[in-house]
Amino acid sequence: MVGKNCFAIASDRRLGVQLQTIATDFQRVFKIHDKLYIGLSGLGTDAQTLYQRLVFRHKLYQLREERDMKPETFASLVSAILYEKRFGPYFCQPVIAGLGEDNKPFICTMDCIGAKELAKDFVVSGTASESLYGACESMYKPNMEPEELFETVSQALMSSVDRDCLSGWGGYVLIV
Amino acid sequence: MAMKVDMSALETNFSIPCLDDGDGMHLSADSPDVPSMVLPTCADFDGFQAATKDMVKNKRGTTTLAFIFDKGVIVAADSRASMGGYISSQTVRKIIEINPYMLGTMAGGAADCQFWHRNLGNKCRLHELSNKRRISIAGASKLLANILYSYRGMGLSIGTMIAGFDEKGPGLYYVDSEGARLVGNRFSVGSGSLYAYGILDEGYRFNMSVEEAAELARRAIYGATFRDAASGGCVSVYHVGPDGWKKLSGDDVGELHYHYYPVQKTPVEQEMTDAPSTSA
Repeated sequence: MVGKNCFAIASDRRLGVQLQTIATDFQRVFKIHDKLYIGLSGLGTDAQTLYQRLVFRHKLYQLREERDMKPETFASLVSAILYEKRFGPYFCQPVIAGLGEDNKPFICTMDCIGAKELAKDFVVSGTASESLYGACESMYKPNMEPEELFETVSQALMSSVDRDCLSGWGGYVLIV
Repeated sequence: MAMKVDMSALETNFSIPCLDDGDGMHLSADSPDVPSMVLPTCADFDGFQAATKDMVKNKRGTTTLAFIFDKGVIVAADSRASMGGYISSQTVRKIIEINPYMLGTMAGGAADCQFWHRNLGNKCRLHELSNKRRISIAGASKLLANILYSYRGMGLSIGTMIAGFDEKGPGLYYVDSEGARLVGNRFSVGSGSLYAYGILDEGYRFNMSVEEAAELARRAIYGATFRDAASGGCVSVYHVGPDGWKKLSGDDVGELHYHYYPVQKTPVEQEMTDAPSTSA
């Protein structure tokens, strides 16, 4: 979710196999660099592998260009990597959030084969995504300060996740 | 002073539909006072039932358990109702009070369980009135099992336990919509039952105090709600003794989690790291 010169990215902590809960401390939001984070919902193993691939590509970029990737560029990179596997996709829906030039927040989401969807306010993905759309839509206000943004994102996450069997067991909220 | 033997349980509960009226949905029950359910008239009855079963999509997302010990029967259940992945309610009453000394648990389709338990309560009361004595748990569970057997294959989804206290002492029966009726000392039903069995079987002893038994039941349901996504909400624990049932506790599962595993304050969690505010 976007705020005033800041963004928030949040996820739940549950890892499960259909109805069985395997872990309650699974990490789904990963750092690419200080101002760029990616959240990967969907299959756990694809989330981890995709993250490792993306970090590798970003490190190469850093060596060549001697600077960090801009969020828009990174989103295009993720989209291209996902579309490479068009006929045997990664079962992940990424949510990308970053601060671009002048600390202007950038967020976007993708389906599992790389269709980019930019938004100005919030993006969601996961098993409780319909619930999350509703909660974010009603709780979102433009230009929120970081503290207010944190409250909003936490409440939206908790209320949606409470209505979904397959999500829960804690939440992780990051404000940048 | 001959007692009239109550044969109502042996009567079938559904009627043959008559096609002479054109709309084909008329009842022709043999005994008009027995409630009959109308069957649809169609060419492929079994196919239609299978399609309905798929459409209704009953999922046994629940955990219930019951066990007999020296001071009676403990019955416990969670309170979550799920439709696929969506949680429709966290406050469902899955332990149904059939009469003051008998409890039934609900697992499977909520509507099915509520209706047939209520129906069973009616039949038990009628038995009491016509026979001047309370029905035994064996008798009550047999009534329910026979009714469910007659609807076998039609898509009812019920996995219930009838627990109570009668003249022979504590009684516990498992009855399900496939027509099974099992007598036993410990049962757990639902998608989280396997997890509950693990904890229940390990901690079970016949000689326990009521508090110990309640704590075992609570712990077992909590364990099941932890591992099973379709169970959750609150844990209700009931005890059925010689004087009837009594609700012992109703605890939210989230609060129980922190009660059993209090948060350890680790040094890392306490640090507040400020993100760099200016770009390099």
